[in-house]
Amino acid sequence: MLVGDNPFHGISHLSQERSKARISVSEDPDAAASLVCLALDNGANGFMFSVSETTLAILKKIREKGEISRLGLYAIVPYAYEYVRLATQTGGLVGLAKRFSKQLVTSRNLGAIASGVKGVLGMNPEALLRTYLSYEISRIKSAAGKDARIESVLLHEVITDMALALNLDWLFQAYSRYLFKHHITPGFNTCNFPTLVTELRECDMEVEETFVATPFNRVGFQMNPSREKCEKTLREMRKPLVVAISMLAAGYLKLPEAADYLAGLPNVRGVAVGVSNDKHAMETFRILNEKLR
Amino acid sequence: MGERKLRVGVVGLGKMGLVHTSVLNVLPNVEVVALCDKSDLIRRFFKKVLKHVPILDDAENLSGYGLDAVYVTTPIPYHCNVARTVYQKKISDNVFVEKTLAASFKEAEELCGLARRSGGVNMVGYLRRFYVTFAKAKSLLDEGKIGDVSSFKAYAFSSDFVNTKVENRESGDRGGVLADLGSYGMDLALWFFGDLSVKSARAESIVQNNAEVLRFELCQNQGITGICDVSWCMKDYRMPEVGFTVDGSKGTVTVNDDWVELRLRDDASSRWYRQDLNDNVPFCLGLPEYYREDKYFVSCLWEGREAEPCFESASKIDKMIEDVKNRLRKGD
Repeated sequence: MLVGDNPFHGISHLSQERSKARISVSEDPDAAASLVCLALDNGANGFMFSVSETTLAILKKIREKGEISRLGLYAIVPYAYEYVRLATQTGGLVGLAKRFSKQLVTSRNLGAIASGVKGVLGMNPEALLRTYLSYEISRIKSAAGKDARIESVLLHEVITDMALALNLDWLFQAYSRYLFKHHITPGFNTCNFPTLVTELRECDMEVEETFVATPFNRVGFQMNPSREKCEKTLREMRKPLVVAISMLAAGYLKLPEAADYLAGLPNVRGVAVGVSNDKHAMETFRILNEKLR
Repeated sequence: MGERKLRVGVVGLGKMGLVHTSVLNVLPNVEVVALCDKSDLIRRFFKKVLKHVPILDDAENLSGYGLDAVYVTTPIPYHCNVARTVYQKKISDNVFVEKTLAASFKEAEELCGLARRSGGVNMVGYLRRFYVTFAKAKSLLDEGKIGDVSSFKAYAFSSDFVNTKVENRESGDRGGVLADLGSYGMDLALWFFGDLSVKSARAESIVQNNAEVLRFELCQNQGITGICDVSWCMKDYRMPEVGFTVDGSKGTVTVNDDWVELRLRDDASSRWYRQDLNDNVPFCLGLPEYYREDKYFVSCLWEGREAEPCFESASKIDKMIEDVKNRLRKGD
């Protein structure tokens, strides 16, 4: 049972009004870290987060509280929102690439820099991917410390789904290869679960050895192409691999009914849900414990 | 056209170009056969990533690919040049241009003329028409649920440039806040209420000679008046958001990206969230609206029917943008 980070980024997919209300939480990493720890006390055992300055500050605070070894980390990269915003501000993808190169150099991650130079000189997408992953993993380790357990690094849905659309088999394979090599389970965040499972199988990957974070909720919100097809794909899995996200359909559903729905599904390995205050953190994981364990 | 696939080219491989290329690639009976970008870096990268598609350096070189349609997804200042080339070089008669149609009304008029003479299908990418919430609002208004419309208030806000140093901003290619965000409000207003003209405009904040927070008033010849507030430096708008409150003789419709509400004078009210409005699509990339938009344009191509907003409709937005800018310059 994972604590999700959406409230810490001020995200609510139900409405921007709720997002605005949540933004105060995101401005206080100490309060957010305390919420994660409270969720741990109430049954959560992991933290699923997009790698951003906000979440890295939260990890640092959890480490300072001496609690980092209690939770598994499930990192989502890239933090698409921040990169899109940077691209907007820097005049597009080329501007973004320049800005990222600058960040990479100032990170002093020599392995990543070397791989990046090689990738740029040869225009080698796989080398660039390795550079990027090395950079993000080093950021997490630097914030969370040596006691941190990085269980999985998941590819953000925008990249996963774009790779699916463009049939970029090499990306799925190279991504997984790099993470397995570093003893981290590769993961994919997607809004097209059945299509992803088909694609991974077609490029001879062991689907059951990866994590897939994808929406599962009673109203079928963000379950494309349909709730029925997503449930069918889930039933046909040989092993549980899915971390259900958006279980509340972005706040549209109440937790008990949402948990009842998930409890009735096979092959769900975990669930990630965001919490935005103490009461919410305690109740959420208490109810999930009752319904799902 | 039987089992034949539509052959599509995309010019401009920024964010929108990649999104459209990806979505087109999953649409049945569509084949992306050529891509084009001016940047050498982008071309070199995508030649390695997308090995099966030629990546060209100039739209002129799309000749000879037998294209059924071209998507123009370059920065706004290049829309006119690229679309003109597509028509004049007879690369395709069918053209999709990301919003806004052009960088000026004069350019927009030129493209309307070229499109008319080609006789093809043309469309401008005003995505919010494909949001389930705005589509629901449109049907409520068309059904006369709130009676005769008298006025509306609209906003288009984002936090894209909050806390950004002025010298770090390279926003020119997006055409300024009016083209980037205000155009969404204008397009929805035209879609909801028909032709409108600019009555007044006022800038609250000006950076590098560009208005960043502004308000303009619109009016329609049947008496509907409206106010639209636009800003891309509005705090707490993590994602851009557009919203309308429309007043009528029998009630009010309020709509934004997330929900739509109908409130009648007798206090009866209903609210529909995205979750209530069948928001799923066969393939979702980022937002489900991209799939609906591209599928709609492709359907229009197959069926040979006019798409909306076509160049002619969208050029009215370029006109309104120019009118707002003129009024800001004159100070009225």
